[in-house]
Amino acid sequence: MPAPLAIRGYWKDFDWSLFGAALCLALIGLTEIYSATKTVPGDLSFAKQTIFVCGGVLLAFIVASIDYHAIAEHIPWIYLGSLAVLVYTPLGARRIAGAKSWISLGPFNIQPSELIKMVVIVAMARYLSELHVRGYLSFSQIAKAVLLCAAPMGLILFQPDMGTALSYTPILIAGLFLRGLRPKLVVSVVVILLLLAPIAWFVAKDFLKPHQIDRIQTFLDPSRDPQGEGFQVQQSKIAIGSGGFLGKGIFNGSQNQLGFLPARHTDFIVSVVGEEMGFIGIAVTLGLLGFILFRSLYNAQTARDSLGMFIILGVVAVYFFHMVVNVSMVIGFFPVVGIPLPFLSYGGSSILTAFIGLGLVISVKRRRYVN
Amino acid sequence: MQREELTLLRTRISGFVYVIAAALTLLAIGFWHFQVAQSSRYAELADKNRFKQIPLIARRGKILDREGRPLVDNRPSYNVVYMREGSRHTVEEVASMLANGLGMPREELIDRIEKNKNQPKFRPIILKEDVNASDIAFVNARQYEFQDEISIEYQPRRRYLENELAAHAIGYLGEVTPNDLKKPELKQHKAGDQIGKAGLERVYDAILRGTDGYRLVLVDNHQREVEKLGEEKAISGNDIRTTLDLDLMRAAEEALKGQVGAVIALDPSTGDILVLASKPAFDPTLFASKIPASALQALNKDPRKPFLNRVIQSQYAPGSVFKIFMAAAGLEMDVINPLEHVNCTGVETINGVTKHCWKSGGHGSVSLYEAIVNSCNVFFYNVGKDLDIDKIAYFAQELGLGRKTGIDLPDEKSGLIPSREWKARAYKTKSKSQQTWYPTETLDVSIGQGAVSLTPLQAAWAMGGLASGGRLVQPHLVDPEMLKKNGFAAQKLLVDNYKVRAATVDILSRGMLGVVNEGTGTAAKVPGFDVAGKTGTAQVVGRQSYGKSEDFEDNAWFVGFAPYRNPEIVVAVFVEHGGHGGSAAAPIAHAIFDTYYRKKTGQFNVQSNGPVAQVRP
Repeated sequence: MPAPLAIRGYWKDFDWSLFGAALCLALIGLTEIYSATKTVPGDLSFAKQTIFVCGGVLLAFIVASIDYHAIAEHIPWIYLGSLAVLVYTPLGARRIAGAKSWISLGPFNIQPSELIKMVVIVAMARYLSELHVRGYLSFSQIAKAVLLCAAPMGLILFQPDMGTALSYTPILIAGLFLRGLRPKLVVSVVVILLLLAPIAWFVAKDFLKPHQIDRIQTFLDPSRDPQGEGFQVQQSKIAIGSGGFLGKGIFNGSQNQLGFLPARHTDFIVSVVGEEMGFIGIAVTLGLLGFILFRSLYNAQTARDSLGMFIILGVVAVYFFHMVVNVSMVIGFFPVVGIPLPFLSYGGSSILTAFIGLGLVISVKRRRYVN
Repeated sequence: MQREELTLLRTRISGFVYVIAAALTLLAIGFWHFQVAQSSRYAELADKNRFKQIPLIARRGKILDREGRPLVDNRPSYNVVYMREGSRHTVEEVASMLANGLGMPREELIDRIEKNKNQPKFRPIILKEDVNASDIAFVNARQYEFQDEISIEYQPRRRYLENELAAHAIGYLGEVTPNDLKKPELKQHKAGDQIGKAGLERVYDAILRGTDGYRLVLVDNHQREVEKLGEEKAISGNDIRTTLDLDLMRAAEEALKGQVGAVIALDPSTGDILVLASKPAFDPTLFASKIPASALQALNKDPRKPFLNRVIQSQYAPGSVFKIFMAAAGLEMDVINPLEHVNCTGVETINGVTKHCWKSGGHGSVSLYEAIVNSCNVFFYNVGKDLDIDKIAYFAQELGLGRKTGIDLPDEKSGLIPSREWKARAYKTKSKSQQTWYPTETLDVSIGQGAVSLTPLQAAWAMGGLASGGRLVQPHLVDPEMLKKNGFAAQKLLVDNYKVRAATVDILSRGMLGVVNEGTGTAAKVPGFDVAGKTGTAQVVGRQSYGKSEDFEDNAWFVGFAPYRNPEIVVAVFVEHGGHGGSAAAPIAHAIFDTYYRKKTGQFNVQSNGPVAQVRP
């Protein structure tokens, strides 16, 4: 039974490169959040984000110091507690942007659905790693894994916050793939989904919110522009395209500074990076994100046991999903969904979640050698 | 066994590396496409976002009377405009948002946008002109919602201070049409611009209009101005001082009120037009705002044709007025001996055709002087017979009849002086007998009937020319010399000089003085001012259905000048279906001569309609 806190050798085994890359991303994010909000009088985003990043760094160190086995051991009641929080959230929550996804903690609003992703990662990792199957997963095992993920997702959909709910799926899919899925099953599921897509679309029309339908329609046909969704993406494309190779210079992006970019310090922070820092800035950002993903996967491969592998893979899957969806969205490759970019976008919950994930990865890395 | 499991998991994790690498590569290619391949296009779009050109509409020049009193000036006004570029709403949505607030039907708003859909998108479309304070408040209160799509635009608007007065001379403005824009002289205009469509507003549009400027500003996403980057000031148009006399105009309008007709007065020595009035008229103010379709239709359908400028566009048989030109031709060509008498029995048979004098029983033995004063037809039948039509035509044309005078107004008509050649040409598709000129037609022309027709302007111009010894100065509302002085290109006034003998002028002037003092035109007499003139009462050929009771009334003429030697002012009055020239037309001429004389002798209180404007150099 390993000690919950391993003080000895803490700094020696710490993954400094991984941490450094995350900190660089956070600094790029802070710079552009400052640039995006400095002309808005009374806007405290930069100061708050600084606090979030400091809090995130602290959390990463704490989580990294905890043995992930200990976390996995306590995960059943943490998981149930999280479900309870998700049940409570829409009841006592403040409504922001049409969804009751937030609870107030003093001066800060916390979005539990973000943070609980990390709980689900560990829960999923524990469940899948304890199966120890050698062949492919059985149907009932898959069903249990789906349920584990679907329970919080369902509660989040109820808030309603489809974007965040969707960001839970990579935990499930990556975990199932790693544990082993029958190739035939994968192929048939993909085929069925493709066949069902048009039908699903007609059904979905009935229960999706109008703005969600518009987003999807606008994505499929950008020339139709009912609610200005296309306008948002159009302005983002203009910002990124006009940035060119070298960028217009920090604090010099006209799209950013004159306010043409919507949600520019949160979901569209990449547009600001693209405008003010150019393709170079984008390449550095994507490079740092890529480095975090690859470095984490390397840590997974060198992990001591399958639990560590599943935990890291869950974190990587969530980071990857956020990165692909967010970055594709700002250049019009994906419909507009409210998905932040880890380490860069403004938002306490998003930043804390990203750093907790980082802490989990480092926690696994630190224990890669058998004591 | 655990080792095996871990090895399997490690292999599978390697698979994820490829997925991530592929996704990152695709994203990088995507950004390369926007930021390197297409960068210049997006840079342009970003500039369009942040730079905005705000048009500064130039003030149009005023139109003044000869004493500098404004007839037309400008007032501030505002339009509600719609900018399609960057619009986040469909045309239908825009129409629905505004219909109630602006009090306009949705269909009209949609129609206005549709009509301009071929214009460049950055050009604002006017949705409602000349809006009131509540419309402005409506738009401003919703500025956040409308943002840059719907806004208020400043536009100085024309104010016609005297309403209908001189409407036909002044003309009106209208929106430039797509066809107009194809003309080379209008190519600096853009859709939505107001240009002169008629009258002086049209002829001197280039001088009046000035040059629009613009302000280049940096704007934020709410179109709020962040920084001014540059400015090209609007250059106001130049004022134009016309030759019209507001006091005489008012007298003419008052005298002609309620009738259908025309009054023209000019200074024969300079060609300055002092009065140009045509009735019924219209109020050009109607065109200063978008004219309601119903009002325009009513004006267009009015059988009395309010848009017709009767001074230059109506051609009427001159009746007995023409006898003066017959007399001049006869004297100049030595057909008339001023001392000889002709015996008028009331009936005369010439070349086998029997013609009547208007006075049954006849005038008895009449000299030229008496023939003019009493307007004896028989005397002039004989003059016509002796001259024959081609000589009449030659002389009349030398004196300015049957051709355009060259007034600075569009669409002047030339009138008609018939001749043998004219008839052969006019009837060339008809039979030979119809092309032949018959002597009886010459007799009709001799008393101003038949095919001969004049515009009121021609009547005044030719009469003024004759009274000035044959010197005809091109009539005008704006003196080209004054334009030249102010730095504009202008053509020199044309001057025709036929050289009528002084003796001829003297005989005719005295005859016409007699008409006013003892003959048919006594109603035009102004004590102290030697008014000379000639009445005309022209039979209306054919039915002109204006009003029932007037159907068969004659057209009334009076053409006169004063003083009878070296005249300063010529006046021609024409009243459609007015009846006798002496009773219907001469009193109107009187009003003008009287006002002129009182102004000249300082007995007239010059009325001012506001501060006297200075003509800008």
